Amino acid sequence: MSNEAEKPNFITTSLDFLVNWGRTNSLWPFPYGTACCAIEFMSTEVGRYDLSRIGSEYVRFTPRQSDVLLVAGTISYKQAPILKRMYEQMAEPRWVIAMGACASSGGFYDCYCTVPGIDHIIPVDVYIGGCPSRPEAFFEAMFDLQKKIKDESYMKQRAERVKDQLEMIKAKTEQAKAEAREFAREKTAELKEFVTEKEQELVKKAQFWKE
Amino acid sequence: MIVLDPNGEKMNLMALNVGPTHPATHHCVRLLAALDGETIVAGVHEIGFMHRGFEKMVERGTWQQVIPYTDRLNYCSAMMNNIAFCRAVENMYGIEIPERTKVLRVIVNELSRINDHFICVAAAFQDLGGTTPFMYAFNPREEIMLIWEKLTGARLTNSFARIGGLYRDSYDGFEDDVLAACKSVEKALKDLHACLDRNRIFLDRTVGVGKISAERAISYGWTGPCLRATGVESDLRKDEPYYDYETYDWEVVVGTQGDANDRLQVRLAEIEESVKIVRQALKRLAPGPVDIVDPRIRVPAHKLAYQDMEALIGRFKSVYEGVRVPEGEYYCASECANGELGFTIVSDGSGHPYRIKVRSPSFAHVSAFNELVEGLTLADSMATLPGLNMIAGELDR
Amino acid sequence: MESVIDILESKFGAKRDASAKWDACVVVPKEYLHNAVEFLKNDPSMQFDMLLDLAGIDYLTYPNHEGPRFAVSYAFKSMKNPGRRVRLKVLVSEADLKVPTLTDLYASANWLEREVYDQFGIVFEGHPDLRRILNHVEFVGHPLRKDYPAQKRQWLSTTDFLIPELEKRLEDKGYKVIQRSKEIMPVEEEYLEGSIRE
Repeated sequence: MSNEAEKPNFITTSLDFLVNWGRTNSLWPFPYGTACCAIEFMSTEVGRYDLSRIGSEYVRFTPRQSDVLLVAGTISYKQAPILKRMYEQMAEPRWVIAMGACASSGGFYDCYCTVPGIDHIIPVDVYIGGCPSRPEAFFEAMFDLQKKIKDESYMKQRAERVKDQLEMIKAKTEQAKAEAREFAREKTAELKEFVTEKEQELVKKAQFWKE
Repeated sequence: MIVLDPNGEKMNLMALNVGPTHPATHHCVRLLAALDGETIVAGVHEIGFMHRGFEKMVERGTWQQVIPYTDRLNYCSAMMNNIAFCRAVENMYGIEIPERTKVLRVIVNELSRINDHFICVAAAFQDLGGTTPFMYAFNPREEIMLIWEKLTGARLTNSFARIGGLYRDSYDGFEDDVLAACKSVEKALKDLHACLDRNRIFLDRTVGVGKISAERAISYGWTGPCLRATGVESDLRKDEPYYDYETYDWEVVVGTQGDANDRLQVRLAEIEESVKIVRQALKRLAPGPVDIVDPRIRVPAHKLAYQDMEALIGRFKSVYEGVRVPEGEYYCASECANGELGFTIVSDGSGHPYRIKVRSPSFAHVSAFNELVEGLTLADSMATLPGLNMIAGELDR
Repeated sequence: MESVIDILESKFGAKRDASAKWDACVVVPKEYLHNAVEFLKNDPSMQFDMLLDLAGIDYLTYPNHEGPRFAVSYAFKSMKNPGRRVRLKVLVSEADLKVPTLTDLYASANWLEREVYDQFGIVFEGHPDLRRILNHVEFVGHPLRKDYPAQKRQWLSTTDFLIPELEKRLEDKGYKVIQRSKEIMPVEEEYLEGSIRE
């Protein structure tokens, strides 16, 4: 079954196309805006640039309802555990954009308190330069991310996941079987011992009565 | 947790953590509140999530290299911080900057103030759930941003001021652009007032919320619009005038109640005053030099470097060694969008700053936050916060 | 302005700070600091009712510096007489890193003193809640001292707990904590578990 799904065919590619189309055109960002870049992100959101043109219709301030974690601004060591927890709370599929120099590399704050790039903490899909990045650069990053998502294959990922699960189930079954066998062997050995003990007892008793 | 209240009655309180990842706390304030139902009985708050070592970083560069760092203090009005820092250093040199620079700095200052106040009001609306005013406030902001792009080349963090002058003179058509922006600011103000003044929901949520008395605000070191909202008429532009602010015709805006609504209304009224100042300053904008002529302080113009040996040496020295600010210590404050932005500067006479301490207005405002919200409901605490306009870059530096 | 300095000089043994060439600044002996500030705040001829700023200074690498290593500079402003400012400076030696607190006079002193403590390690005696404010709880050392390397980074494993501070705040307001909730009791192993670098 797993081999079948790994090979692209008409059904899987069509499904992939459909899923990717949906995903690319409704990327809901979760703005993790700490500093200057957050202000530029606000500019991106409103009238002149209008983020909703590319389907990022609404900015969600909760990790549970968003697809893209947008880290806009410096991440300090005090902030780092929080950022990691936010990322872990997001549901799959999830992507990360590092907006601006600070999030990408620490920027010109090469200092005791700033994380030199968020990739020390979480995986990043797209980096944007600039201090702060212009709204146009942000759009470019969103288009890059859309391209990346279009290349992904949902069916393949799913097949892999199913494969993994199957393997896991197989491994678990093997393990359980082995455990059961072991258990049975132990039990038989115990029973045998018991029987031999009983036999010996009987022999002893018989001998006693004979005497 | 179970507690006994001052009257000896048993209460069951819940400790709830709010922020820093909360839309209204802007990732820079964390509040741990003890809740009785929905009322905050006591709260402690924590900052420092955006501490990025301004004071350590500036010790490692030259005096001119401080300017980009000051941009990122209050990034909503970046150029005001530049100008405040350059003014402090110029005072240490004891130099007088040219008349045109003064007027240009006033224009830039006031447009930045407009920008900052618009962001504050827009964010306050957004946090209370109103998206329309957010859009209204950003329209004139974008127009001012366009002027910044033409003037400095950057949208947000401009680094426009220099010690002893400006990065460059204004471009052709600057005056017309500024006038057009002023018109659009006034239009947006009209729209915002229409959204705000008689909006029942907004008034219910902000009037009488987060009140503070003038004495308490002074004790907390509040300055700027937040202090003026409590009714104290205090503005450094009037009290200790610089750049001829006293000669312009404008008024200090004061509030009456000192609540969340007043803090936003004062900001909106200040935008009007700023527009007035900008209009008057444009009339005073006479042609002239923008930089002082002293290669030890201000780098000579780029084209001179190819013709003049002195200018070449001046450029070389000031880039490699930095300008040498006279030895000594000084505290200099300017009226920025949020209040008094002060720099305590310690110079050892070399090309590098020995120590620069920033007195940030947001720090003082936010330090009173838990006192403001105790006794309010949890929802009201989030209506209090945006009026304080805490900007992470300035708060934690 | 000169009168303020003269009065401080005659009353509290203060000395004019030679390095302050552009504004009024006096060096006050540590033991008279609290009295001097109280005088500045309450005397009808002074009325410096706002404490603007505390700036710690480390003179370790200052050329030709003599005297104690640290200094704390207090900036005051008068709201009743606009435009009046004065700075006080206290010298703090490395052997005795203690300065009396001003939290009983100014509310703003609370956080400002915490910041100086955090960045320089100067202890303010009598401060109700002297903790780190800008750096995280697991930070070791004081970053703005000149001998702290700028790029020495320190990771944090978990965010600050803050419950003890909340209980303290409740007790300051007259409440008495009689039972903590089970789920918010700190467990020592959990508290420092799992560095984010794993």
